[in-house]
Amino acid sequence: MKRLLILTPLLLLGCSGAPEEALIRFEVETPRPFGYVIGDEIREKILIETRSGITLNTASLPAEGPLNRWLNLNRVEVEQDGQRYRIDLRYQVFYAPLTVRTLTLPGFTLQFGSGGSAFNKEIPPWRFTMSPLRDLAVKSAEGGASIRPDSLPPQLDTRQAMILITAGSGAAAAAAGALTFLYGYFPALRRRTLFKQALKRLSRIPEKDMAEALRTVHRALNALNRQPLYQRQLAGFYEAHPEYRRLDSQLNWFFNYSNHYFFSRNVSATALDRQKLTALCQACRQIERGSR
Amino acid sequence: MNTRQLLHPLLWLTLAVGLLAMLYGAADLYRIQANNALISRLVSGRDVEVEPVIGGPFELRLARAYYLKNKHRYDEALATLSLVIDHGDAAQRARSRYNLGNLYLEQAIAHAETMDIAAALPLAGLAKQAYRQSLALDSRQWDAKYNLEAAMRLLPEMDRISPDDEDETVQQKTQLWTTVPGFPRGLP
Repeated sequence: MKRLLILTPLLLLGCSGAPEEALIRFEVETPRPFGYVIGDEIREKILIETRSGITLNTASLPAEGPLNRWLNLNRVEVEQDGQRYRIDLRYQVFYAPLTVRTLTLPGFTLQFGSGGSAFNKEIPPWRFTMSPLRDLAVKSAEGGASIRPDSLPPQLDTRQAMILITAGSGAAAAAAGALTFLYGYFPALRRRTLFKQALKRLSRIPEKDMAEALRTVHRALNALNRQPLYQRQLAGFYEAHPEYRRLDSQLNWFFNYSNHYFFSRNVSATALDRQKLTALCQACRQIERGSR
Repeated sequence: MNTRQLLHPLLWLTLAVGLLAMLYGAADLYRIQANNALISRLVSGRDVEVEPVIGGPFELRLARAYYLKNKHRYDEALATLSLVIDHGDAAQRARSRYNLGNLYLEQAIAHAETMDIAAALPLAGLAKQAYRQSLALDSRQWDAKYNLEAAMRLLPEMDRISPDDEDETVQQKTQLWTTVPGFPRGLP
């Protein structure tokens, strides 16, 4: 145990002297080293993973701004994820070579701290070639200097106004449509679903409540006729709605049955009657829908 | 039941808001189309009234600067362009600076052709600065790269790299001096 205690400072000393052991991973990613022209951006990525307890001294990174006459460091980004660092450097070169020419991104020294001690790690310089964009002569053969023309002034963007118009008119049209329907300006729409609504109501009325079931069908027929419909008026009804003539026998049965049910005594409703009533309503629905 | 009572007022509200938005959008569109017509006029080389340009959006001033420069009224073009150089998004600022660089470079070339090197030098320097700022904002502009190279060739080759320059022995202190933005904005 004592020996271990004596060994520990020695081990720590060993670590601080040997950065290779303190850094689990150290990679410098550089792009292709050729084919750059004036104004190009060059990205250099440095990936580092350190052992625990060792931190990168971010002050040792180069500062953003011009590094020399022809090289700018536009952005330095450091992402830290636990013991992992990811350094993103964006250089921009402003050198106008006469022929293809080799240039060098300067190297720098990263500093790491571990407790009291510190050590350095060199980022090596990186060489790349730049190419010229134009002929040696500033002037063209005709005499006038050739430069690229101005960029055209932009037109104003109409997209926002168009979106506003489209959304506004869409919302207004939807609201207007809904209001028109609610205020009953689409009578045709309602009147085409009279028996559909009646069928829906019929399915909800309990089997025993024959009176309510009959009233529902009466109400649907009255609504279609626009006034109360009695058996003796059926002929007139058929003239206005000739498509219902083929249900003549069923309708006559309905009015007879209804008369008996409401105005005679000792009439009891059977399941069969109820079925016939539903069948009548379904037949009316088919005519209303146009499928019969 | 509560939602049912709310339905009608809500629908009326939607109708009113929708109509208002539509009217506002239509008025906006009308104004934009009128301004776009002015811009097209300026770009095609015809002058327009100054009043709408002053009160209008910055794109109008850009178009007016373009017009003035094409008519070789460099001082007026510079005055107009410098007012709106920082308007718009990064891409637009990059294009404005590129046009500013062209404005300087064209004058520098004109001076250089009459062998007036003393007048050409500072103008070429200003052009280089404008192009560099433009490329820093958007490094994919080939026209700016091409013209920057032209501006750098126009100057005597002071920028050529000497072997010592390539060394990374740029001292922090000397670097500080070179980074101080020394160029005054505008013409000397």
